[in-house]
Order: sequence, then structure tokens, then C-alpha cells
Amino acid sequence: MTDGTLLRAEGLTKVFGSGHTAVRAVAGVDLAVAAGELVLIMGPSGSGKTTLLSMLGGLLRPSEGRITIGDVVITALPRRELTRIRRDSIGFVFQTFNLLESLDALENVEIALNVSGVKGGEAERRARALLVDAGLEARLRFRATKLSGGERQRVAIARALANEPHLLLADEPTANLDSHHGLEVMRVLRDLATRHDKAAVVVSHDPRLEEIADRVLQLEDGRLRPETVRRPVAAGR
Amino acid sequence: MVPLATRNLLAEKGRFAMSVAGVAFAVLLVLVVVSLYRGWSDVGRFYEKLPGDFWLSQPATSDPYHSSSFVPVADGQLAAQVEGVGTVIPVYTRHIAFDRRGTTLDVFTMALDTKRGPYALQPGQIDIDRVLAADAGVGVGDRLDLLGRPFRVVRVHSGGNSIFQTAFLSARDGRELVGVPGRVSFLLVGLKPGADAAAVSRRLHEALPALEVHTSREFADSFAGRVNAGFLAVVGVLVGIGFVVGGAVIALTTYTATVERSREFGVLKAIGASGKFLYGIVLRQSLVVGAAGAALGVAASAAVANLVKRDVPEFITVLTLRDAVAVFVLALATAVVASYVPVRRIERIDPAEVFRP
Repeated sequence: MTDGTLLRAEGLTKVFGSGHTAVRAVAGVDLAVAAGELVLIMGPSGSGKTTLLSMLGGLLRPSEGRITIGDVVITALPRRELTRIRRDSIGFVFQTFNLLESLDALENVEIALNVSGVKGGEAERRARALLVDAGLEARLRFRATKLSGGERQRVAIARALANEPHLLLADEPTANLDSHHGLEVMRVLRDLATRHDKAAVVVSHDPRLEEIADRVLQLEDGRLRPETVRRPVAAGR
Repeated sequence: MVPLATRNLLAEKGRFAMSVAGVAFAVLLVLVVVSLYRGWSDVGRFYEKLPGDFWLSQPATSDPYHSSSFVPVADGQLAAQVEGVGTVIPVYTRHIAFDRRGTTLDVFTMALDTKRGPYALQPGQIDIDRVLAADAGVGVGDRLDLLGRPFRVVRVHSGGNSIFQTAFLSARDGRELVGVPGRVSFLLVGLKPGADAAAVSRRLHEALPALEVHTSREFADSFAGRVNAGFLAVVGVLVGIGFVVGGAVIALTTYTATVERSREFGVLKAIGASGKFLYGIVLRQSLVVGAAGAALGVAASAAVANLVKRDVPEFITVLTLRDAVAVFVLALATAVVASYVPVRRIERIDPAEVFRP
């Protein structure tokens, strides 16, 4: 894409079921996110946020519409190619962190590198650098279960960044954190978009995240409301 | 590479230990059965230890333990004249059942008519194997009665098992117990040093066309063949059960470890792990359980084989390195097969589930 847009969704629709039991979870969503931009999508439970995020991340195939990441239309890709796009171009941050419990912090990041074929000392060096950058130098060898919520989310973010993705997708990243750790994670996300020029889409209920978002969109009944709150990119930084 | 497979397994140390023990028991079952089978098959090797190279017998004789044979004594003189023949020892054989302390015991008696060596016994002397000594409760110097005749135990040799116990007697006692005048059971022929065995065998055939010429190896093989016919099917079934049990333990362990961590596998799928990467984790889990269990099972089998050899001599166990390696490799192959079910489970995991809290 030549206009700086990194992620574009056009007419995105997802229908679960069929006939009279069909549920339209997402209905005709259009969205464009530029590199360096952090977009917050808010909405009540059941509004389709997670479904939308799953489609944007190539985890769920839309019933209609098209998603383009960079120059690649991912909705047309076979499963194996989608896996490659998720590995190389997208970083995921989950509400429940989703760290691998039997591994320590360093290994949780390292395994994301292993997934993309980086192994041994190189994987360990890069994972260590990411965690040091996230302020977790003293927690490298702590098992995931021994870390605080904020630390776990920072490990999860480091894992999401391990393969240097262009796009970061975060689902309720502050939902399980207290205000202090929530703020910490918000700063990290903001910094990633600004300093590392990543496009970030965050779905959340948390109004605190509005402070760091470049744009805040409201999703209701699977549709993005026309009244979009647009903030200057510098806001909240 | 992050050792996720071993970490997943070791996260539940108790279950891992039980799984390894389960596989080890399966391997132990397989190796004990195989080693017992080997032991029984090798019993006939006993013929090869006797002082001769060829056995002359009546036609249609499988081996001295399983067949009776009556050969004219005079044929021994003819055999001795054959070029290349060094020694000819008349051999008397007979199965004898006798009562001892209220139990009926069976012994296969052999008497070698020779003046030299450990088989040259005096009348009234008997040399019995270890199992018979234990079953009859006698040792060197004790009296043992066979067919109403008193014998004095002069030696207890190694060997014997639950189906085959041997005793050596003097030539005179052997002859009297067989009780067929002018006949011996077999003629045990020894070669002259440097003689061509094939040529001597051919000449023996020509000189004594009414007799069969067998090598000691042929008798041993024939004995092993009888054992195989009786036991191979049973051994096959038990070995098969062992592998099925071992495979089921591995499959169940790996499957449980996979199901418990389906969300984590979903996370790996979501972040772009390929099928090959995920299956590799499951395969390594299976192989770790299989290898640890097989190694423990092989070690336990060696220990059991030694204990059996020491404390239960009637069960001859022969545990060979080749069998141990073969069972180990088969256990690993079983582990590979056992990983199929959990791999199928991983295929069904939907990575989109990871967004659900």
C-alpha cells in the first residue's frame, strides 16, 4: 500500500450459523490503520470485538470482505500461508496473557523465535534483549506462573514482538491488570506504535486506553459507529 | 530450541514417572518373555558341548531328547575304521521318571562309554544338573535312587531348566538301564585333528548306509525347532501384548499432556507455529516417554534376568544385547505410532479460541 496504510479491512462480515439461527457477529466493517498508529476499538460485550480481531489476525475467515496486510490480501490465502503471515507479520497480545506455563519468561519469548526458525544462541540473545527492553532483566528465569500480571503481560508483548511484526493486535490487554500494571502496559503499547512504527489495533472495555490511542472506534452489534473519535497522534503520548 | 516437550511432561512429575514405569513394565514383559524363549531355544546347545562332532542314529531321529534310537554296537567298530574318524563313543540315553519326596521327577539320562573326561563315571555314580539337584533336594555325596538303583551324586553341573533336566551315568549303568543287548542309543563320532568334516560325513554315510549322520549343531537346531513350534506363537502373543500396552501408555500420556495444554498449542498455532513444529513437540513427548521407559525396562530386564539365573535356575533366561537393542528401537517406533492420536487432536485445535478468556 502506498498511502502508508498497513492494515485495511473492507466490508468485513462474519456470520456464524445459517438460516434462521444465523448470527451476524461483524457486519460490513471498513477499517484502515497506518504504520505508527494505535487504534482502539471499544464496545460492549458481544459487540463483535474479538471476532473482528480474530479476522484481522488471520485466525478466523470472514464470511465476506477483504483484509489486506501490507500488500498481501490475507483473506485469499490458504491456511499454510496464513500461518506464515501470522508468524512473520502479526504480533498477538491476549487478555489472559496466554504464556506457556511450563516455560520461564525467557523461553516464552524464545519459543516464538523457534517457531520462525531462529534457534539456539541467536534465539536466546534476541529474547533476552526484548525482555531486558521490557524491564524484566531480573525475571528472565522465572516461570510464567511466578510472574505478576503486569510482568506476564510484558513477557507476552515481548513475545508478540519477537519476530518483528508490522502489526500488533491486542485483545483487552489491561483487563486482568491493576491500574499500575495497566498503565505500564499502555505505555509499552503506545511506545511500540510510536517508536517502532508498528500499526496497533487494541480492542478493550478499558476507557484508560483512550488516553494512548490515536483513534477510538466504537463497535456495536458488529458495526463500527460512524461517529469515530479521532485524536491527534500526539495525544496521550 | 526450547525444550517444551520435556517441560510439558515434567510439569506433572508423578504422571510422567507412572508413564515411564508403565512403558518400562511393558518392555520388561517383552524382554523377559524373549529371554525365556531364547533360554529354552538354546537348551539344545548342550549337544554341542559333548565330546564329538557327528551323531550316528537310527533313521528318522530328530535329537536324542525327543527320539529313541537303537544302533548296533558293531557299527561303532565300522565307524572307527572310516578315514578321518578319531573317536567313537557309544552313548546310552533314556528318560526316567522317579519319585522323590512324594513328587514325580523326570530326568534325561545319558551315559557315554568313554574312559576319559568328565563323562567317564564309575558304576553307581551320577552327575546331575543344578535344577534336578534343587528339585530332588540332593547335593554332591547324596544318594539318589533311579528305577530302584541307588546312585551317589558325584557332581552337580550347571544347566537344566523346567522342561529339560539331565543326568550322566556310567556306561555300564546306562547300558543296563536301556536294557537292549547288542545295541547302543547313538554313536558319538569325533574327528581326527585336521580332518575334513564334510568328507568324513560322506564317508560315514557310505560305510553305514542304514544309519543317519547328524552334526551336533543339527541336533541343537532340531531341539530349538521343537521349542519354537511349541512356544513361538505364545511368545509372539505376549510380545504383541507388551507392545500394545506400552504403546497405549505412551499414547495416553502424550494425549493427556496434549489435551491439558490444548490452549497452549492453540497459542502456538495463533503465533504462527507450523503443523510440523507442533507435531514435533508431540513426537518428542512420545519419544521421551518411550525412550525413558524402554531404558528403564531394559535395565530392569537385565536385573530380573540375573535374579532369575541365580534364584530360579529352572527358568533359563538369555538376555542378548541384540534383543535389548531391538526392543528399545521397537519401543521408540511404538512411541512414534502412539503420537498419531495426539497429533490428530492438535489438528482440531482452533487457534481463534485463544482470544476467549
